[in-house]
Amino acid sequence: MIYTLAALITVLGFAWLALAMEEHWRQVHSSPLPSIGARRLMRILGALALLASLLLCLRVDYASMAVLVWVMYLVSSALLMALMLAWRPRLLSIAWPVRGS
Amino acid sequence: MFANFRLSMSWVHTWFGLLFGFVLMICFFFGTLSVFDREIDRWAIPETRFDAQPMPSFDAVLQPVFAKLKPHPVDMAATAERVIGELPHPDTMPMTSLYAYTTHRDPVLRIGAEFAIPNQLKDPADDHLHVHGWGTVDPRSGAMLPEDRLKIGSEWFYPMHYSLNWNWNYLGILIVGLTGFMMLVALVTGVVVHRKIFREFFTFRPWKRAQRSTLDLHNMTGVLALPFHFFFAFTGLVIFASYYYFPMSTTMLKPLHDQHEIIEAQQTGLAHEPAGVAAPMASVDAMVLEAKRRWAARDMAGEVGYLYINHLGDKNGYVSIFRAGSDQVALVGQGVHFEAATGRVIREDPAPSAVASVNEFLTGLHLQHFRHWLLRWLYVVGGLMGCVCIATGFVFFVEKRKQQHAKTGSQGSRIVDAVAVATVTGIVIAAVAMLVANRLLPADMVGKGEWEKNVFWVVWMLAFIHAAIRSGPVAKAQLNPAWREQCWLLVMLAIAAVVLNAVTTGDHLIKTVFIDSYWPVAGVDLSLLATAFIAFVAARRLARHQHASDQAPNVESKRASHADLQPATLKTSF
Repeated sequence: MIYTLAALITVLGFAWLALAMEEHWRQVHSSPLPSIGARRLMRILGALALLASLLLCLRVDYASMAVLVWVMYLVSSALLMALMLAWRPRLLSIAWPVRGS
Repeated sequence: MFANFRLSMSWVHTWFGLLFGFVLMICFFFGTLSVFDREIDRWAIPETRFDAQPMPSFDAVLQPVFAKLKPHPVDMAATAERVIGELPHPDTMPMTSLYAYTTHRDPVLRIGAEFAIPNQLKDPADDHLHVHGWGTVDPRSGAMLPEDRLKIGSEWFYPMHYSLNWNWNYLGILIVGLTGFMMLVALVTGVVVHRKIFREFFTFRPWKRAQRSTLDLHNMTGVLALPFHFFFAFTGLVIFASYYYFPMSTTMLKPLHDQHEIIEAQQTGLAHEPAGVAAPMASVDAMVLEAKRRWAARDMAGEVGYLYINHLGDKNGYVSIFRAGSDQVALVGQGVHFEAATGRVIREDPAPSAVASVNEFLTGLHLQHFRHWLLRWLYVVGGLMGCVCIATGFVFFVEKRKQQHAKTGSQGSRIVDAVAVATVTGIVIAAVAMLVANRLLPADMVGKGEWEKNVFWVVWMLAFIHAAIRSGPVAKAQLNPAWREQCWLLVMLAIAAVVLNAVTTGDHLIKTVFIDSYWPVAGVDLSLLATAFIAFVAARRLARHQHASDQAPNVESKRASHADLQPATLKTSF
């Protein structure tokens, strides 16, 4: 259960990190780019989400095991992100529904 | 030689990556299958389709089994060549040590023993003066399984990934070791070559032309799974380093190593040599209970993974009981050692040193004896990303050069493409064909396992020959139809394997998933169906691609001439 939550948060974290990038924002939204401040906020939120997923993993397992699961979560979530941006970019607008600045 | 550092790294990455990539693909693909080796075993040997069992009672179940265990004919023959004079009859050789091994995923128990022989060795430096016997036991009844049932997962796919099943002078292991090292080189040079790691972190553009989208996929699967690739190449090397790659303890430093063994035996109290005085054996079950009690007292209750008895029937005999460390990453034994004659505890392994803990962690990370299904599947994702990364490396190599080669009449990209087909679709076909053969050949056939191995090699060889014969169009800068044809073959074989499993064993998916859930077999079947689906999609796309390039050959040649104008820019943009 907590692992599922951690997985979702990792995906969300990567979605924010991706949306903070100009190229990927354009893939997801047709609206103009968000402000520098908004992009910085996305980066911070993304980093915090990845940290949060690490903490969640650490709650369920030994530290050594939890770190491995977390690293593999990062790998698979980033892969999922890249594939979504390639084939279903619009879905990612859920992560940041605000339409530009 | 090169204009700049990046170009020289690019050269190393391209050529060493290509040369070792073919071996690396085998390591990665079969390594990925090895994550579920015990499950593939159960698929291949339907008699073992029951639940994983703990180590059975030694006194009640195993002792009678070991009493019947004999030296193995294969090892008899191998030993006969190394000793002076005739070996005695196998029934008369006394058993000197024995082991039993299981994991939390094993329904069956692996056992083995060493038998003493009176002969002298031909080579005095060789100190292997015994014959081995081994077998597989049904732990519920103590019945021995027939010897020639090949455990396809753990005895074929698993060793394939670290030894290529080429055991002559450890050649396969050494090649894989060199390949693992070259993989680390490929990772470092790849990072240097790929300038925009963070800017193109999530970038995959399947709609761009083949060369671009292949490079995207190569970069993406390489970069995203970089920690995974690095750790698996590195830990793989660590595991084999001391024994195979730097075999000091068996070569240069052998006297020192032997001396150390004796001193260590004195320190630990686990006798190095038998006393020569016969002694009975106390209850091993009682020792197991005591070992479990001690583990529980250290807050790590667990089952026995490995049981070893040395100097059987001798006053110096001892029983070592190791824990199946399935609850943590580090591969630990936490052994408790007993005097065989009395059952007295001789020694409890102390906590490992810092260096040993790191080693145990790295080894455990790679060998994954832990109980964690989520992490197991995440490893499969990482392994498959590695396969995609290597495969796209081959395809990119060919895509980048084939126009040029078509102009100059070079056969280079054609050869690379044919080998790439054999190492990408070819190995999957060989593996699945082996499963099909496993279900088609009768269970009681003599030497069934050997036939399965033959099917594997022959099918793989045929896949290569097919790819080579069909590779003509590559020399004309077109697609090799072998890619598509082998995808179709894979679709048929994978579905056939699932159907044959259902027909020959009655374990169809509706039963193994819904009625009487049995995930090890259902998992293999579902993975086969997923393979069939992916191969189907790939075959369809390749057909469309072929159709498009047949329709517009002019566009291709225009592109080619355009590319020729700027070879320098192309090279730097790689």
